[in-house]
Amino acid sequence: MHLVDIVSHAGMGIFAEIAMILFLLAFAVIAIATYRPGNRGAMDAAARLPLEDEPAQREEEIRS
Amino acid sequence: MNTQLDSFKYDDAIVRKFMVATFVWGLVGMLVGLLIALQLAVPALNVPPYLTFGRLRPLHTNAVIFAFAGNAIFTGIYYSSQRLLKARMFSDLLSALHFWGWQLIIVSAAITLPLGLTQSKEYAELEWPIDILIAVVWVIFAVNFFMTIAKRREKHLYVAIWFYIASIITVAILHIFNNLAIPAGPFKSYSIYAGAQDALMQWWYGHNAVAFFLTTPFLGLMYYFMPKAANKPVFSYRLSILHFWTLVFMYIWAGPHHLHYTALPEWASTLGMIFSVMLWMPSWGGGINGLLTLRGAWSRVVDDPVLKFFVVAVTAYMMATFEGPMLSIKSVNALAHYTDWVIAHVHTGALGWNGFLTFGMIYWLLPRLYQTKLHSTKLAETHFWIATFGMILYSTAIYSAGATQGLMWRAFDQSGHLQYPDFIETTMKLMPMYWMRALGGGLYIVGVLLFGYNILRTWQARPKVYEEPVIQAAPLVRVRGEGPSSVFAGLTKSGHRKWEGLPIVFTVWVAVAVIVASLFEILPTFLLKDTIPTIASVKPYTPLELAGRDLYQREGCFNCHSQMIRPLRYETERYGEYSKAGESVYDHPFLWGSRRIGPDLAREGGKYPNMWHVNHLRDPRSVTPKSIMPPYPGLFTGTLNFDEIEGHVGTMAMLGVPYGELTEKGKASAAAKAQAKTIADDIAANGGPQGLEDKEIVALVAYLQRLGVDIKKTEAVAQHRSPLLGGF
Repeated sequence: MHLVDIVSHAGMGIFAEIAMILFLLAFAVIAIATYRPGNRGAMDAAARLPLEDEPAQREEEIRS
Repeated sequence: MNTQLDSFKYDDAIVRKFMVATFVWGLVGMLVGLLIALQLAVPALNVPPYLTFGRLRPLHTNAVIFAFAGNAIFTGIYYSSQRLLKARMFSDLLSALHFWGWQLIIVSAAITLPLGLTQSKEYAELEWPIDILIAVVWVIFAVNFFMTIAKRREKHLYVAIWFYIASIITVAILHIFNNLAIPAGPFKSYSIYAGAQDALMQWWYGHNAVAFFLTTPFLGLMYYFMPKAANKPVFSYRLSILHFWTLVFMYIWAGPHHLHYTALPEWASTLGMIFSVMLWMPSWGGGINGLLTLRGAWSRVVDDPVLKFFVVAVTAYMMATFEGPMLSIKSVNALAHYTDWVIAHVHTGALGWNGFLTFGMIYWLLPRLYQTKLHSTKLAETHFWIATFGMILYSTAIYSAGATQGLMWRAFDQSGHLQYPDFIETTMKLMPMYWMRALGGGLYIVGVLLFGYNILRTWQARPKVYEEPVIQAAPLVRVRGEGPSSVFAGLTKSGHRKWEGLPIVFTVWVAVAVIVASLFEILPTFLLKDTIPTIASVKPYTPLELAGRDLYQREGCFNCHSQMIRPLRYETERYGEYSKAGESVYDHPFLWGSRRIGPDLAREGGKYPNMWHVNHLRDPRSVTPKSIMPPYPGLFTGTLNFDEIEGHVGTMAMLGVPYGELTEKGKASAAAKAQAKTIADDIAANGGPQGLEDKEIVALVAYLQRLGVDIKKTEAVAQHRSPLLGGF
């Protein structure tokens, strides 16, 4: 008996549907965690990271 | 607390290298695109054997995806990662190896693809030695990138870095598993997968190449360069997190929408459709997030070509990611699949999203990298308008062409017969649109030339020696208990915020999401017997037919001809019985195709005499006056290598194709010679050229005459299911 026979017999045809639900649940958990009210300050700080990575003087020179 | 600051310099020399490579390969890739666009309108522009549409089309797609977009990604990643992580790249040597290794891959592609060395899987055409090189170079890049993260001085990993991590991990997985093949020569291999399984693997790869090579890394670039250009933080950092995770969770499932109504199991196709439709939401969330980053800065768009390019790039992203889910809906797909509509969709993404984001990014980078002013803002503005106009012209033409094809193919007249039974009628209708497309593409290239001139002149104004500012940043102090001790580390503390800063944990979870989703989608097709019902009358190709199939691949016939008749009345009326999964169980690789510039060939066998094929391949217009197919004179002079055929049969047998005693020494070549003689004699007897029994043409004719023949045999009705599943 091959692996194919065993898996075919195990009735795992709804494999993908179950996975889809699990993935949606995982996503929901991340969404809730991301939008927790206590996170705002940290999120705002993170959002500013690209703007704080060059010496300010140099950026001013380029923009002028 | 350690207050000592580290001093270091960024490596911008590597960014400059990748930037120049982006322009050079972009221009090459787009010129090849223009040539193949013109070849459709003027078939005489095909120059066999090396410069025919079938061989050049993969060169165009590979060049724009992996050479143009690839180098653009690396430009942006090397620039932004160093700054976001507050660290120089881990190793200058690895950076150099990555750069030169990648250029070597591109040059290898540019040489091998016109030579006809191809695996014939879309965007994965390159043969096995180059695939290995790609894997090695990708690992070099990954090591360099992850080690830079490891020695970073900024604790939080900005969302752009997440997008880069997901791209690096997923592309590695996709590349390795889709390209698993058994070598049958120095530049010849056979995919380990066959038929429907190979199709599923290919489009799992193909769609996710779009996702994780052309989308997620560019989104990372968007989340870095758009705030930089607007001088404002991203509109909603929270939304960017959701954007990231939804894409990671959903994209990987969407591939099967490329195979609607084919012989792929229906559940897989439906799953692909559902996830594709769901993708619309996060894609637009991300797009809106990008556009709203310009809040309060919209007035600057008027004067700033960088922002103009970014606005159109994000708009194109939103258009493409609306259209993608729409095309994945089966009823829409039935109309659009195999037509130029899909080409238009791809180009909205490639020219608009990837191209314009790259141009915007490079215009922003030029003064910073060459430490001088951009040579001409006015020229950049001109580039923007010419490219925008070119893109609109291109898209309008090809969308119209796609809709025209789809509607003509399915049209019935009042008597219930196909209104356009002759395929060439639909081809001729597209001619004005092909010309308009070439004009649009040409204008886009004019824009790229202006872009190149601006780069050149800015480079010429560079300082003699580049200033390398010394950056100072505090080293990262590892807080006890925050190390990546386990993959669950962050989850047990304060959730997502914590493990955003733990790169190993983060990377592991991204990999888990991608791998688990892939396994859930792919494994059933491999492990459930009833997904690919076998057909008793379907037998392996004869050795000569196998050689013909190799030639079919070499010439890139699959770029214009599908071998998959969908179970739709207008398809079966035109081409015959619809294709079954069991018909391609010996097809390593599958050759279902994705486009019909010419008609489907799944039932080509026996439709015409051998002599028709000979004439058709020698001079297509001698049998179909308005055909746009290139001639293949090389098939009449190219000699068959019967020893090589024997080796190929042996490789196929290794893959499980039941060749039986044909694998014994001398038998496959003897069988091939015998069949070749029969066909050559028939050709000679019907007034064709004499002495073709060792020429490539007889092998290709043998293959074409075999297509779809097996299922017509009487025993074909004995289609059976696994007894384990309650079949008979």
